[in-house]
Amino acid sequence: MARLLVQLKLRLLTNALRSSRRAKVSFIVSTAFAALLAIGTFLLLAALRGGSAPVAQTASVFTVFAFGWLLVPLVSFGLDGTLDPAALALYPLRTRPLATGLLAASATGAWPLANVIGLLGVTIGVARGAAGVAVAILAVALEVLFCIALARLVTTGLAGLLRSRRGTDLAAFAVIPLFALYEGFAQVVPRLAAEGKITAATFADIDRWLRWLPPGIAVHAIHDVSTGHLGTGLTRLAVLVAIIVAIGWLWIRSLRHALVSVDVSTQAAAVRGRPLPFGRAGIRGTVAGRYLIYQRREPTSIVRWAIVAVVMVAASVSTIRTPAYHVALFISAVLAGGMLCLFNGNWVGLTGSAFTLEASALTSGRAVRAYVAGRNIALGIIAVPLAVILSFALAAFAGHPAAGFLALPIDLAAIGVGLALSSLYSVSLAYPAVKRVGSPIPNAADGHGSQAFLCAIGSLFGVPIVIAPVILAVNLTGSVPRAVRFPALLAFAVGYGLAAAWGAGRWAAALAVAKMPELNQVAISSRL
Amino acid sequence: MSEPSEQSGLAISVHGLRKSFGAKQAVAGIDLEIAAGSFAGLVGPNGAGKTTSLSMMTGLLRPDGGQVIVHGLDVWADPAAAKAVMGVVPSEARLFDRLSGAELLEYAGRLRGIPVTEARARSAQLLDVLDLTADAKRLVADYSTGMRKKAALGCALIHNPPVLFLDEPLEGVDPVSADVIRRLLTRFVGSGSTVLFSSHVMETVELVCDHVSIIDQGRIVATGTTDQVRGGKTLQEAFIALVGSKATDEEDLSWLGSLSS
Repeated sequence: MARLLVQLKLRLLTNALRSSRRAKVSFIVSTAFAALLAIGTFLLLAALRGGSAPVAQTASVFTVFAFGWLLVPLVSFGLDGTLDPAALALYPLRTRPLATGLLAASATGAWPLANVIGLLGVTIGVARGAAGVAVAILAVALEVLFCIALARLVTTGLAGLLRSRRGTDLAAFAVIPLFALYEGFAQVVPRLAAEGKITAATFADIDRWLRWLPPGIAVHAIHDVSTGHLGTGLTRLAVLVAIIVAIGWLWIRSLRHALVSVDVSTQAAAVRGRPLPFGRAGIRGTVAGRYLIYQRREPTSIVRWAIVAVVMVAASVSTIRTPAYHVALFISAVLAGGMLCLFNGNWVGLTGSAFTLEASALTSGRAVRAYVAGRNIALGIIAVPLAVILSFALAAFAGHPAAGFLALPIDLAAIGVGLALSSLYSVSLAYPAVKRVGSPIPNAADGHGSQAFLCAIGSLFGVPIVIAPVILAVNLTGSVPRAVRFPALLAFAVGYGLAAAWGAGRWAAALAVAKMPELNQVAISSRL
Repeated sequence: MSEPSEQSGLAISVHGLRKSFGAKQAVAGIDLEIAAGSFAGLVGPNGAGKTTSLSMMTGLLRPDGGQVIVHGLDVWADPAAAKAVMGVVPSEARLFDRLSGAELLEYAGRLRGIPVTEARARSAQLLDVLDLTADAKRLVADYSTGMRKKAALGCALIHNPPVLFLDEPLEGVDPVSADVIRRLLTRFVGSGSTVLFSSHVMETVELVCDHVSIIDQGRIVATGTTDQVRGGKTLQEAFIALVGSKATDEEDLSWLGSLSS
């Protein structure tokens, strides 16, 4: 059974590789990253030898890997056909051989191999002597086994849920902490490290907790044996084996249950019976109401807004507590509009095939203009308070709360221009969006990457270019008394943003009327 | 001024409609005339060009050539005006999954310019007729295939269009839901409106349609009243005779079956 499932996994991998050019590129890139991870982790762990806290630092790395195994399958459920036991439920398979086979399938592939190779760096970084190296190899094997068993327990337990609408909704939210962690590492860790704020003592503090978790137990076992405490080391390994056996037992129970049950959590789910908002505001209000509901109910929308917030904070975090805090605030405000434009610069593709329902009712140029205005109103209702609150929070964090009043005009102008450009891009660069299995955020369909790229570049560069007059006005009016400056800048920015959104909205609507059949085809080609 | 369709008596008139995708000719110049008040079926094997034809007739896909007149309005001369007089149910129900059934129908009605109170009232009535009242507050994302088809039909009917296009409306629908849809459509046609629907289920077409057109390889190979097209046979037999059937060599399956060794 193990051999058959490993062959199945390999066949799934090779078939995915053959399916398209994009799949080939993804596979090559993914394998290259796996190789980099293996080599990088190995060298990192090996380089800890002789350092001030190699055990604590290695325990941190082992724990990060375990969290990776825990989180990634939640996001990528569906990418790996062997993750879902329901696919095998039709066959006369007994649970134990099935469990062994699924474990073996999990261990097959570039990423599990990269894990093993990378973590073997511990044989140089922490292990001492032949016994130490032998225990290190065993501990790495157990660590990887622990990771796989834990990931299997979680995915099998959630398998029914992950196949359901609610489960995929919840899985989408896993992107937010992953993205925040990435931004945190990319923006904060290098700066803290450069400032010498991440020291051996930091890791020693963390290790006081990590040593009681299975990854920490594995590393401390290697250290114990390497320092002559063979009994303690072997006892730790025995505890680790017991934990793995317990997880395995729980997993097999969960597997038995998952094979014969389905998720029913959405069967009784209902929304409140309130009518759609803005009932008396014509098509503009009707569309705004639908868009607002979608921003709240669709996980992808919530994820996008969360990413806008994370980017605004992350972009400013390295300079917000320095004398250049106002630059951080301005960059953050510009990014609010840039990200808004980026995420909404393809409303036809992102609405998907349901857009045809709307398009069938847009029977005049006026109706299309109302549609675009309704969309802009809904997005503005969320974007304005989000950006303003974050700007003032960042200004307060910088120790200059009044500086929020300078970021405010840039926020508002950037949002107006973001809506304006996204309306135009949505019509002129419209492309089908596809939510690929494993990815909670839709991407451009095959062959449409260039439009998505143009939209991204046009958003991130277009917004700052178009709002340059507002940025200049903010920067060149430093000598004007605040009582005059703040209201004047606010009025200018609001007028500027509204004029941009209104003018571009009308332009986009005129373009949309002319190419409605093509927009319908884009919508129909989308797979969300 | 009387409606142009009333002058001609035709609800749908198609002339020389064609479409190619690269080298493949999906629709090779079809002509079709459907009288107002007809329940018309467009049948054909998979890949015959049914969906492409319906997409062009409903303004969703720009044709390479030809003319489509719906209720007296040239679809490609004035697509917006033509869309106002038609309802469309695509083969794959294209709905807003994150709205509840009640919200979806109200939204479709309000988009069509129906006043909000009227849209809510029609939505409730349609949900009732479509047997969806109990699920009106559930998200469409959690609906079954049959429920989605019924919700899509509700969206297409809420503005009471004179002409309704349906692409495979009963595909994947259980017999009870199919019966609900059939009865609603029959009632709709009985009031003088026109229905054109595509299908490859001959029994259904034979049961409900008074006009049938058979399409194969992008061409209309037979059209007329159901009796004319059947020519004394069942529609299934007439269809097979017109489009042919694939002969199978069953020798290779000698192992199949309980009595085989």
